[in-house]
Amino acid sequence: MSVRRAPTYQQAAPERPADDDSDAEEEALANDYKEQVGYQDGQGYDLDRSGSLGGGPQDLQAQLQAAATPLEYGATIEAKTQSYDSYCNLFHFILNSEGPVDIEVPSYYWAWDVIDEFIYQFNSFCSYRQRIAFQQSTTSVNEEEVSVLRDNPNTWGCYSVLNVLYSLIQRSQISEQLAARKRGEDPAPYAGEYGSRPLYQMLGYFSVIGLLRVHCLLGDFSLALKTLDDIELNKKAMFARVMAANFTTYYYVGFSYMMMHRYADALRMFNHILIYVSRTKNFQKGAQYDSISKQNDQMYALVAICVAFYPTRLDDTIHTALREKYGEQLTRMQRGGPESLPIFEELFRAACPKFISPTPPDFENPQHNIDPVEHQLAVFMEEVKNNMYSPTVRSYLKLYTTMDLTKLAGFLEVDADTLRNWLLVNKQRSRQVRHSEGGLLEGDIVNSADLDYAMQGDLIHVAEAKVGRRLVDWYLRNLARAY
Amino acid sequence: MGVAFDYAPERPESIDTILNGLDRYNPETTGVFQEYVAQQCADQTYDCYANLALLKLYQFNPHLTRDETTTNILAKALTVFPSPDFSLCLSLLPPHIYAQAKLSQQSGPPASGTLAEAVSHLCILHTQLNSAQYAEFWNTIDGDDLYADLVADIQGFEEIMRVRIAVVVSQCMQEVQRDVLESWLNVRGSKFDNFVREICGWSVDGSVVKIPLNKENEARGTVVRESVKFEQFGRMVKRAYEQPA
Repeated sequence: MSVRRAPTYQQAAPERPADDDSDAEEEALANDYKEQVGYQDGQGYDLDRSGSLGGGPQDLQAQLQAAATPLEYGATIEAKTQSYDSYCNLFHFILNSEGPVDIEVPSYYWAWDVIDEFIYQFNSFCSYRQRIAFQQSTTSVNEEEVSVLRDNPNTWGCYSVLNVLYSLIQRSQISEQLAARKRGEDPAPYAGEYGSRPLYQMLGYFSVIGLLRVHCLLGDFSLALKTLDDIELNKKAMFARVMAANFTTYYYVGFSYMMMHRYADALRMFNHILIYVSRTKNFQKGAQYDSISKQNDQMYALVAICVAFYPTRLDDTIHTALREKYGEQLTRMQRGGPESLPIFEELFRAACPKFISPTPPDFENPQHNIDPVEHQLAVFMEEVKNNMYSPTVRSYLKLYTTMDLTKLAGFLEVDADTLRNWLLVNKQRSRQVRHSEGGLLEGDIVNSADLDYAMQGDLIHVAEAKVGRRLVDWYLRNLARAY
Repeated sequence: MGVAFDYAPERPESIDTILNGLDRYNPETTGVFQEYVAQQCADQTYDCYANLALLKLYQFNPHLTRDETTTNILAKALTVFPSPDFSLCLSLLPPHIYAQAKLSQQSGPPASGTLAEAVSHLCILHTQLNSAQYAEFWNTIDGDDLYADLVADIQGFEEIMRVRIAVVVSQCMQEVQRDVLESWLNVRGSKFDNFVREICGWSVDGSVVKIPLNKENEARGTVVRESVKFEQFGRMVKRAYEQPA
C-alpha cells in the first residue's frame, strides 16, 4: 500500500463527460460482450483524446505522477470519477499509442505505486458504492450521490479494471519473459517491442501482482494463486525489491491459501514476510515502513487464525510478537468450542481484505447488497465451526496411548457417536495439501498434525509424532553473531 | 505425488484453452461451460477449476445465471468432500443468495423453488458431511424429495458418496462395528457385505468389519527430522570465501 499522505492530487487530464464510459483498451477483452455488461462505449478514445494527451512529454510526466498519487481522504464522488477517467486516459495512451511510448520511468517503484493506487481506488470505490446502496433505505444518504452512482454503473467497472491489468500483461509479454527466466533462459528474445522497455516490463509485472489481488478481492482464491504461476516467490523476484509489493504479494498469497484450507502453506507465506519485515525494519524507517505496519498487524491476526487451525512451532521472533499482539485471542481460539467463534470472527474481520462484488449494487433492492466481507466471513466460519471441537479432542488424546471411546466420551460429556464424528473430522482435517514444488496450486497431501490415531472398534490407538530438535537455525544464528 | 488444484485429467483441450485465455471472461463461453458441467454430471468426471470459472462468469453477469447449473456444481463439489471445493464455490455465489440461505437455517426455509432454498439445502448436506455425520446425511437425503431432486442430475451420486465415506473410514479405523458402518454407508444386509468385500476389499468378521492396515490408519509414532538444505549455509560459505585467511 502506498502511503495515504496529504492531498497532492493533480488533475492533469481535463474533465471528460461523465457518461463516456472509459475503457482502456478496446481490442483484447471487451469487444464481444460490452453490450452484455451494459457498456455503451461507442465513442472510443480517439474522439476526445486529442485534448487530453496532446500536451507532450511534460504533461505525460505529470500524469504519471498523478497516477501514483493517492486521492485525499474523503474525496468527493466527482474526484473519484475524475481519477478513474484519468487512469483510463493514461493506460489507454500507454497501451494504444502507435508503437511503445518512449518515456523515462520516474523510479523503479513507480510502476508498483501506479498499479497499487489504481487497485486501491477501485477497491475503495466499490466498497463505498456498496455501502451507499445498502444504507440508502436505513439512513439518510445523499440522494445526489445515489443518483450519480446509479446513472454511472460503469465507473470503476470490474471488467475495465481487469481489462487494464490483462492488457498490460499481454502488451509487455511479461508472462513469456518470466517463463523464459524460469527455464533459465534469457528473457530478452521473448520481450518484444514493448516488453523490452522498462515502463512496460514493470507495469506488466506488477499487473500480475495486481491480478492476484483483484481475484482475491472477488473471492476467487484458486484463480488468484494460479495467476502467480510464472512468478517465483523468492528473494530474487522483482517484487521483492519494492517493500510494499513484497508485503502485498505474500499477504494475498497467504490469504488465498488460508481460504483454500491450506493453513500450513498460508503460515509459510506469512512467516516468510513477517520475518523479513522484522529483520529489516531498522533499515526501513521511512514512509514505506509506516504504511505496512497496519498490514503487519493484520497479518499477525491471520497467523493466529492459522495456528489455531494448525498448531505448529513458529519462528521465535514471530512467536513472541504473536503472543504480544494476540496472545489472549490465540489462547481462546486454541481452546476451541463455541466460545472461540466470536474471536475467529473478530480477527477475520480485522485482517481480511475488503472484498468487493464485481457488479454494481442493486439500488432497487437495498437489502440485496450484502457486504461481500460478511459473505466471505460466513463461508469461512462454516469451516471454523466444523473444526471447533478438534482442539478439545486433541488435548485429551495427547494424554493417552490407548483409550476407550466410551470412556473418553464420558470425560467430554458427549455420546459415543458424537465423539466418533469428532475423531473422524479431526483426522481428516489433519491431512492437508502442502506445497512442495511447482506452481502455487500444486501440493501433496501430508499429515500435518503432531498427533495421529486410529480406531480399532471402540479402542483408540494414539501415536505422537515427535519433532526432533531444530539445530540448524540456532547454529547459523549464533555463527552469524561470531562474524 | 499430489495433483495441482487446477488439474483435471479428463478436461478437453477446448475447455483448457478457454480457461487459460481471456475467453474465460467472455459471457459467450457460458454455454460451453454449462454443457461441460452437464457432461461432468453424466459421466462422473469432475473439474472444479472449470466450474469455478463458470461461477465467476455468473458472478460477473448475474442475468446469465442458471440456477440448475449452479446447484449441480455445488452438488458435484459435495462428492469430493472434505476438500475445500464447496467453500470455494460458495465464495463466488452472490452474497444475498448465500445470506438468505444462511438465514433460513434459523428462521425457516426461503421461498420454495428459489436458488437460495437449494443452496441452503446443499449447505446442510455439506455441513453434515464435513462434520462426519454420515448417518444424518443419508437420513436428510432420503427424508425429503427436495434433496433427492438436488442430486438427481449427478450420476451415481450415492455410490460416489459411499466410496468417499469408505475412504475416510479406511484412514481412521482398523476395525469398526458393522451396525455403525451400515448406518454410515446406508447399505445393509447382503448388499453391505458385497460393498465392503468387493469394492473396499475389507473383511467382515461377525459384527466387526476389519480394515487392512494402511499408511493412514496404523497410528505409528514418528520423529520428524529437520531437513537441512545446503542453501541455508550459503551465507556462511560466502563469508568464508570473502574473509581473508
